[in-house]
Amino acid sequence: MSIEPTGEATTTEVAVRAEGVWKVFNPGLANEVTALQEIDLTVTRGEFVSLIGPSGCGKSTLLRVIADLTHATQGAIQVAGMTAAQAREDQRYGMAFQQAALFDWRTVRRNVELPLELQGWSKDKRRVRAMELLEMVQLADFAEHRPWELSGGMQQRVAIARSLAVDPPLLLMDEPFGALDEMTRERMQNELLRIREETGKSIIFVTHSIPEAVYLSDRVVVMSARPGRITDVISVNLGQRNEDTREAEVFFESVTAVREALRGRTSGAVRSRVGEV
Amino acid sequence: MGQRLRSVWPPVLIAVVLLAAWQLLVVIQDIKPYLLPAPSLIASNFFSDVGLMWAAALYTGTTALLGLMFGTVLGILAALLAQRFVVVNNLVTPLAAGLAAVPIIALTPLLNNMFNITSRTPRVLVTVIIVFFPMFVNVTRGLIQVQPVQLELMRSMNARPRTVLRALRVPNAIPFFFTGLKIAAPLAVIAALVAEYFGGPQSGLGSRITSAAANTAYGRAWAYVVASIILGLLFYLTVLALERWTAPWTSRSHHN
Ligand SMILES: Nc1ncnc2c1ncn2[C@@H]1O[C@H](COP(=O)(O)OP(=O)(O)OP(=O)(O)O)[C@@H](O)[C@H]1O
Ligand SMILES: [Mg+2]
Repeated sequence: MSIEPTGEATTTEVAVRAEGVWKVFNPGLANEVTALQEIDLTVTRGEFVSLIGPSGCGKSTLLRVIADLTHATQGAIQVAGMTAAQAREDQRYGMAFQQAALFDWRTVRRNVELPLELQGWSKDKRRVRAMELLEMVQLADFAEHRPWELSGGMQQRVAIARSLAVDPPLLLMDEPFGALDEMTRERMQNELLRIREETGKSIIFVTHSIPEAVYLSDRVVVMSARPGRITDVISVNLGQRNEDTREAEVFFESVTAVREALRGRTSGAVRSRVGEV
Repeated sequence: MGQRLRSVWPPVLIAVVLLAAWQLLVVIQDIKPYLLPAPSLIASNFFSDVGLMWAAALYTGTTALLGLMFGTVLGILAALLAQRFVVVNNLVTPLAAGLAAVPIIALTPLLNNMFNITSRTPRVLVTVIIVFFPMFVNVTRGLIQVQPVQLELMRSMNARPRTVLRALRVPNAIPFFFTGLKIAAPLAVIAALVAEYFGGPQSGLGSRITSAAANTAYGRAWAYVVASIILGLLFYLTVLALERWTAPWTSRSHHN
């Protein structure tokens, strides 16, 4: 077993650990797909890790395996020191998708309350908590609105508030800003970083945007398709993000590094550097 | 308000023009009432018979309402059962198409023999069966056709199947329920009415139409047809109002 850079971390410091994870869809059939091959990934507590790679390389599948929405064919997943299934049952993570997936028949506030409702929270406590979260995503004024009355960006903020409702230590986000325009997107990125700072969550974030991955992350995990595997892990050291970050030299250097890592996969010339990062 | 008036105007205008043309045609061409009675004749019959008509509409309306209620309840119960079996998912659409082609109304004479023909029962029963299918098919669809991402969300929140049903599938089915009800409500009136054509108590709109026609009172027969149309519209509009009131999101939320 290879030693990971974070291998010496104790269990309490590990948010997510994937070891030798494989996911094969339709095994043995003509349409067999190896979506994940031998994935090793460790996310430490409080870390922001992005997954990037071409369409179909298994980013969503990896996230779904971690979330116990689907089972790994082989390998072990650990979330907050327990199995993925236990972590889901204990609500140790919150999830946000590309679609906000809000329930139209509920008000904005009651959408945020949904996970609390499922956990059996009392009505009053639910309400207080939901308002607190809507405050955080700056949508308190829209608490009694219906989801369809909100813009796409606002809906996505509601979805993020909902994913934070039970205060899970881990956030799993699958292209949450994928459907937003560039301006809204950058605002949402800042907002997410602010929320992360306020709450200290560990975050795994799937994206197709290189600048987005770089701007948000401590580490960018680069994946390649068919079979889906990790080809590179690039550390980003931008320090405290501010308005100038996106124009800073280090920012562009990291963007270039990620872009080359993505390209290296297609040329096949760059060998996997996972083990050395 | 101005908006609403503007949208009401054109159909009203068209109706008035059509009625005038109809009247003119009948008068000028001297068309016999058994072919086509003039609107004026139908109107005079309508108003001279309004008391009886009210009673007949009440009778047929009650049959339709009873059938609609029982058929709807049965349709919902069957849908709740069906959604538990994945196979149904692929069967519902062809099933709907197939069932739409079955002339259930043709069962009436048989039901008349099976049950007491002098009672309302066989008529309600026909209506129940006719209402059942659109309700069953649509509600089942609504329970099954939830967004996959919403299902994943529920699973990520560790929701049990029972909770998924209550918090996701049932509310998701409400617009579908109303789609079914908008089909079923006018159908219930038609079923209740046509069921009267096959004998039994002579107190409903359908019976009045047949007996007026048999007595060559064509103006009266048509007046009862008009009353039937009004009854059907009333059922439909009630459902529409109910939808607006209880599920305001159904008409506005087709964004994703
Ligand atoms: N339920 C499934 N059944 C069969 N194959 C699947 C299933 N889900 C995903 N796959 C396959 O697994 C591979 C990885 O899919 P995945 O959705 O994880 O990719 P992705 O990296 O998230 O792509 P995108 O960037 O387009 O979202 C794809 O080839 C896909 O076709
Ligand atoms: Mg994906």
